[in-house]
Amino acid sequence: MKFRHFGRAILVGAAMLVATGLGNAEAQQLTLKIWMHEHPPRIPIDKEIVAEFEKAHPNIKIQYDVLSVAEYSTKLLTAFASGSGPDVFNQTSALVAQYYTSRIMAPVDYAAMGYADEKALMAVYSSGLNGIRFAGRLHGIPTEVSNYACYTNNAMWKEVGLDPNKDFPKTWEEFPAIAEKLTQRDANGVPRRRGFDFNWPSVGAFWNSFNALLQQRGGSLVDEEAYKATFDTPTNQRTVQFLVDWANKYRLGGPQYTDSRTDFLGGKLATDCSFGIWGIPQMHAAKIDFTVRPAPRFADATSDNGMNAYAYYMMVNARSSPAVQKAAWTYVRYYSDQAARLFAGAGLFVPRQEVAAKAVDANSQVFLNELKKAKFPPRVVGYSQVTDAIFRGRDRMVQGGEPVAKVMAEMNKEIDAILTRERARAEAMRK
Amino acid sequence: MRGLTRLHRRWWGLVFVLPVVAFFATFSVFPVLFGIWISLTDYNLLDEPLWVGLANYRNLLDDQLFLTAFKNTLVFVLGATLPVWVLSLLAALLFDQAFRGREILKTLFFLPVLPPVVVVAVVWRMLLHPNGVMTWIAGGHRGVTEISWLASTTLAPIAMIVVHDWAVVPFFMVIWLAGFAGVPKHLREAARMDGASSWQVFWHVDLPQLRSTAVLVAALTSINAFQTFTLQYAMSPDPGGPANSTLVLGLLVLKYGFQYFRMGDAAAVSVVMFAMILAVTAIQLGFNRRGT
Repeated sequence: MKFRHFGRAILVGAAMLVATGLGNAEAQQLTLKIWMHEHPPRIPIDKEIVAEFEKAHPNIKIQYDVLSVAEYSTKLLTAFASGSGPDVFNQTSALVAQYYTSRIMAPVDYAAMGYADEKALMAVYSSGLNGIRFAGRLHGIPTEVSNYACYTNNAMWKEVGLDPNKDFPKTWEEFPAIAEKLTQRDANGVPRRRGFDFNWPSVGAFWNSFNALLQQRGGSLVDEEAYKATFDTPTNQRTVQFLVDWANKYRLGGPQYTDSRTDFLGGKLATDCSFGIWGIPQMHAAKIDFTVRPAPRFADATSDNGMNAYAYYMMVNARSSPAVQKAAWTYVRYYSDQAARLFAGAGLFVPRQEVAAKAVDANSQVFLNELKKAKFPPRVVGYSQVTDAIFRGRDRMVQGGEPVAKVMAEMNKEIDAILTRERARAEAMRK
Repeated sequence: MRGLTRLHRRWWGLVFVLPVVAFFATFSVFPVLFGIWISLTDYNLLDEPLWVGLANYRNLLDDQLFLTAFKNTLVFVLGATLPVWVLSLLAALLFDQAFRGREILKTLFFLPVLPPVVVVAVVWRMLLHPNGVMTWIAGGHRGVTEISWLASTTLAPIAMIVVHDWAVVPFFMVIWLAGFAGVPKHLREAARMDGASSWQVFWHVDLPQLRSTAVLVAALTSINAFQTFTLQYAMSPDPGGPANSTLVLGLLVLKYGFQYFRMGDAAAVSVVMFAMILAVTAIQLGFNRRGT
């Protein structure tokens, strides 16, 4: 009898221990470290989302940090290097290849996100996921998908008797004449107000425009799969010559001038093609009466794409513990479901049904239509080296006056060498 | 007993210097050694470093970016040492004289030293806008309304040197003035009484007394110039551009390390820079020692 009591007591004790243990595990607090790049209108919404998520998930605590765009990539990199990287982070499509190669990005955990499978997730988004698909698997969720289109300053266009809706050029070949009409020059022919100019100084903007122009004629800069430069072709040479002529023959602008976005908002540029849909609130703030038009195509274009698409993706650190990764994907789902709110409050467009329904005005529709035709630029390890090589070559041709054919052959060789080395490095690191 | 006390004293001495030694070892010696070790690896910051031995150094020999940055750095050092040395000495000679308004003028002259280099760079970037103030000053009278100061491969490196020299000459002038203050007055007076002209007093009395100051100015300007980075980063619309004409070694370290994910190459370039600065400084100090 005594023994039976003793046995029962042991069983009860064991059961209590197990229950307590389980209770502890259930109540165990997880802390998610989240880093986002700075986009001021998004920050208050982010904070609201974090608070709501914490309330809905009392066992998950969020440590949310916003880092300035200028230092975001470097800080992210050094944080991962020191093992103190965030559990959830966002980054632009141009820079994700390095993170994928170094196995920093975890593949999407559909179950943790509450989706049955990839098909169920894909059903929510009409596009924008290709920029984060590697080896056939998704590694993040878009928090912003953008493409550029052209904004006209209607007052300046009207001033020279032009109507953006009727007169906006359909081809790049028509553009110099129209830009010239819009350009105001001093006695020496130096532009005091530019009609249109490319965004030469901004690496990202130039990359998204330059690639797109090459793609319109069926060309490309880099073969992302083969890791080969495909730059030096007669067709690409004609496209590059157009850019050189824009600065030197037509004297409509060039890399020496202030970046086009700043000058457009400052009333020193009549047309700009480097703002996304997120530029609309900025136009309102600058009190600019504007019209959005699709970017021109070359007369002999074989692809009907405007400027390139790019995206910011929210990703999960593959080096975080499995429990943290699960919690992270739960947060990503919660955050991505707030897309309509982020679009309304911060102008960040994500191609989901409920977001598209909010972009009903004619200007927003131009972006949505163009996005369907837009292509992502190549994603390669060594992106910064490739863009630097392009800038160097561009400067030699545009500012140094060196022949396009000669420089492009050398650029192709240089970019090829960069890609070969970076691929070899990546493979060595993987071993 | 006395021996024991001496031993105790030694131990206490060691205990007292230990914090400083530990601090120095942790924050100065260790980073240098760690940097040298990284330079012997291929490290992308995201994966484990791979040992490559001296490959990073061998690769530098035919690395076009490194060779361009090396050449640009040497040109910058030339433009940022000799002229600074001479101009700061001339400025010190001027302000060592007694004249009306000297203190006010000296203060105004010293102003460029006060703001951080990055502020100087941003201000000059605006002044050197193709249609900006400097274009108006340099070309206005000839009807020129646009000069690509920072977008021309020829003008951009010169612009960086001129802005650098403008910003640092007053600082080195102060060092020269401190040197002048240390020259015994009686030597000058004796020379003057012997009929020496001002030039002869300067050449035969002041300058030999200023040997240490001269070497200090030369060493500091060289170190400063070899390490240049901020101006090239902040002044140019495309850091290091146009077409790499302002790419210097300091900037290359940043690009290799944090933009190209090539930390091993960045460390190798840093070690080369360190060796260059060490060599130049050693030569200058040796020159000073031989003279004393």
